[in-house]
Order: sequence, then C-alpha cells, then structure tokens
Amino acid sequence: MAVEETYSKPLSRASGRVPTSRKAAVLLLELVMGLGAVAFLLPVLLILLTAFKSDAEIIRFASIVPQHWTGSNFRDILDNPEEIPIFRWLANSVFIATSVSALVLTVDSLAAYALARLDLPGKKWVFALIIGTLMVPGQILLVPVYLILNRLGWLDTPLALIIPAGAGAFGVFLLHQFFLGIPKDMEEAAALDGCSRLGIFWHIVLPLSRPVLATLAIFTFMGAWNDFLGPLVFLDSVDKYTLPVGIALFQSSYASDYGLTLAASVICTLPAVLAFLVFQRQIISGIALTGLKE
Amino acid sequence: MTERRFLYRLSGYLFVLPYLMLFVTFLVVPVIYGLGLSFFRWEMLSPAPPKFIGADNYREALGDAYFRQALGATFRFAVTAVPLTIGLALLLALGLHALPDRHQSFFRAAFFLPTIITISVAGLLWRWFYNSEFGLFNAYLSKIGIKVPWLTQPGWAMFSIALMTLWWTAGGPMVVFLAGLKNIPAQYYEAAAIDGANAWNRFTYITLPLLKPVLLFVIVMNIIGAFQVFGQTYIITGGGPELSTRVLVQYIYETAFNNYRMGYAAAMSWLLFLLIAVFSFAQFRLMRER
Repeated sequence: MAVEETYSKPLSRASGRVPTSRKAAVLLLELVMGLGAVAFLLPVLLILLTAFKSDAEIIRFASIVPQHWTGSNFRDILDNPEEIPIFRWLANSVFIATSVSALVLTVDSLAAYALARLDLPGKKWVFALIIGTLMVPGQILLVPVYLILNRLGWLDTPLALIIPAGAGAFGVFLLHQFFLGIPKDMEEAAALDGCSRLGIFWHIVLPLSRPVLATLAIFTFMGAWNDFLGPLVFLDSVDKYTLPVGIALFQSSYASDYGLTLAASVICTLPAVLAFLVFQRQIISGIALTGLKE
Repeated sequence: MTERRFLYRLSGYLFVLPYLMLFVTFLVVPVIYGLGLSFFRWEMLSPAPPKFIGADNYREALGDAYFRQALGATFRFAVTAVPLTIGLALLLALGLHALPDRHQSFFRAAFFLPTIITISVAGLLWRWFYNSEFGLFNAYLSKIGIKVPWLTQPGWAMFSIALMTLWWTAGGPMVVFLAGLKNIPAQYYEAAAIDGANAWNRFTYITLPLLKPVLLFVIVMNIIGAFQVFGQTYIITGGGPELSTRVLVQYIYETAFNNYRMGYAAAMSWLLFLLIAVFSFAQFRLMRER
C-alpha cells in the first residue's frame, strides 16, 4: 500500500491504471475540498438568501433558507430611487470602470509599443523611470492627488477617478513584456510594404496581443469597479457615488436594516458574479500569468 | 540627413506622449509634491498659509501615540492575515493539483469567487456574521453554549478581520500557486517515486524548492498589500473597538480628510511608504532573479 501511495499522480495517469487506494485517496480529497468549497461559497449564497428574509427573521436567526420568502427588501429599494439611488450608482460604476479601462488600454498600449518596438533615443531611461514607480503604493499619492484634483476643479466629478487611473505603470510593464516577445519579421515585412508605424501597431501588433489586452482590460475594470478609497476621498455628492461607496454609506445610515442593505448588495454583486462566470478563464489565467511572470 | 533621421526616431515619442502626460501629472508630480508637503504645516481649513517646519511632522509621528497604535494594528493585521492566507492558499492549491483535471476548474472557481465581491458588500456581510446579538456565527455557537466577542473585544477584533480577509483573498494566491505547481515537470515526481520517496519527501525535496520563487513573490506581495489594508477594517469595525483595528491607512485618511492636516498626513504616508519600500525592494530582487 505504501508503495502504491508513492506513485505520483502524473505517473498513474500516464500508465492509465489507477490503484484502488489511490482512488479512495482522491475521493477523500474531493470530499475535503468539497467541504472547503461550501465554506467559501456559502457566504456568497447567504447574501442572496438573506435578502429575501424579513428584518424580524434576520434578527432572530433560525435557518439559512428563509422560512417566509419576501420581496419587500427589493421593493423598498426600487420604490425609493431618490433616497437609495442604487441604479444611479450602478450606472456611475459602469461608466467609470469602462472609461478607465478604455483610457488605460489606449495610452498603455501606445506607450508600451513604442518603448518595446521603436528605436527611440533614451527609451531605456524612460522605461526604467516608469517601472520604478511600480513600487509606489497608492496611499502616498492620496493627499497630493487630492490637492491637484482640487486645483483642477475635478473633485466630485467622474474625471477625478478616471484620469489619474491612467498614470499607473502596471499596464505599460505588462504590455511591454508581451510586445517584446512578438517576432519582428512580420513588422519588417509590413514596413517594407510601406506600412507606417501606427499602421503596424494597429494591424499587426494589436491583433497579435488580444489575450494580454483582454487580461489588462479585465484587471483594470475589476480594479476600478472595486476601488473604495478613491471614490470615498474624491467624491462628495450621493448621486455621484460608485456602488462600493454607495453601499457603504447606505449601510451606515440604515445600520439596523440588514435586509435592505443585503438586497442592495445582491443588486451590486449579481453583475460581478455573472461577469466572473463568463470571463472566468481569462481572469484566472491572467492572475496566474501576472503572478508568475511579473 | 542624419538630423532628419534623428527627428524621425524622436517622433516615436509621440506614441508615449499621452501616457507620459498622465504619468507625470498624476504620479511623478504627486510623489514629489507629497514629499515636499510632508515638511510643511498645513491645516487646510485654517486661513494660515502652509509653513515650512522641517522634519517636525516626522518627529511628531514618532512621538504620536495614535500613530504608534495604528502602526501596531497594521503589524498585527499583517502578522495574522498573511500566514493564514498564504498557508490556506498553498493547501488549497496542493489539494486542487492532486485532483483530476476536470474537477479542478469547479473548485478553483469556487475558492476564487469571494475575491470578486466588492469590499463594502463583503465587509457588510461579515459584520452581520460577527454580530454578537443576532450574527450567524454566534447563533450557531450559542447552541453549544459558546459566545465569541468577535468584534466587541480588542483582543478578538483584528483576528476576526484577518479571518474575513482569509475568505476574501485566499483565491488569488491559490491560483498563482496552482499555476506554479503545474510548471513543475512530472518527471521529477516519477523519478522520486521510483527511488521510493514518500509524499512528504516529495513535497519537501521537489515541490517546495521548485515553488520557492513563486512562493516568495506571493508572500512579499501579500505583505505589501497587508500594510495597505483599509477597506475591511473601515467597513467592519470602523477602527474599533478602542481603536484596536484602526490601521495606518485609516489614520492617514482621517488626518487628511477629517482633520485636514495635509502636511502631517503626507509625512505619515511617506513613513508607510518607507516601510513598504523595504518589502518592495525584496520583491524587486526576486523579480530580477527570475
């Protein structure tokens, strides 16, 4: 038995023969992992289930599944768009995250292309300066950026969250490393055919870089969507809030109203979960990629 | 001719220009501006203009009991949350790696899902779990006669925050570890199996050494992230009880945007930066090694 256990998984898989003790071990492992998965998923499911409970039932917790299903929490939110402008916040979040992603993809890909592929005098120094700022944590920028935005008159506008987000070095670094790996011959052939640098960038480099562009787009979108400190500091008016800040504010003013807050949380979380299920592969492979190669 | 050639080469910077404008305005200038600000006394709401005070802000921070408390809270978070998160992420990745491929994607998605939930929703949810009156955890624990003061006792509160963080963030490192495990060639394990190495030996002599670069990188990233913790504590405890969970970023935030002491907040940000820089430097070394 001890001998059989020492078989590594790839070996038994390659030989096509699976010993019984090995099978039992895998089954046990699946069971343990299954319990773990339940522990991780249950809180997410609880947001949904509890949003259908009445406040009385939430306060006297008896079961995970509601004993009396009620849609009143959702109705209360939908009936009070002035007090709880959740769809406004949703629209703000979508607008800001989309704009940030578009801005980052545009300026980062142009810059990374030139720094990776063009013969620029002194580009090594420019790239080193950009990469050096990868270590700068966002917190030290908070106060000075706030003061700059104040002077620009951009505080309490979406611009405060969109434009500064284009300054980050991560995207330039990621795309730069990817562009370096694209074979030069296609570009050279296109250049011989009289294709301009912008043409090569648009017709050759970008189409070859779709996976890494998608990774960057998803990461940037998720980062902007979940950003909490930025909107908390830069926005003032309730109708300008993004979802995370809106929900946090909502929670502090309706502290005893768990049902309402959970219903708002469902409205906020559902699009994110759906997007995750659709883009799962890109998100997970993107994290693995940046975590390994960064 | 050579001059025109040089101008053509230089014109390539037009591609970099849009990014460079943003980079300078919202990264380079703020870094320098913030450093300069940290040497001034500037109460934004008072009519007095900013006044140069040398290193007084830094001196004040080192003697400020609240700053030291916030520093302590940040360290307590890092020391609790990082080992828990990395440890569990590694266990999960090892478990997943041993499963048949077709079952991996479901579990991977399940463990990763909490990561995509936005902080205010996740924080609110756990605040409810931890509620001592009608929270989910105590509702079950009270059935066996236990009542845990999750958020009401200073000794417990940071642990509760770390536990929530474990659930919220273990998925990311797990995915990276799993990818690292998949990069280890199967032949190594086959050779070890033929030599009669048991599971523990294979783990310590093959898996750990080959996973080391990834492991170190993720640990350093996690430590850097832990020093910047804010959302969890701000939403779940608001820094309480008795300021036991008020971390550095929250203290900086309150100094700047509740008390409008911009110079002092900038100085504390730079102290936080120096702290993180030590770990960033380590990370940079790791990046270069790979």
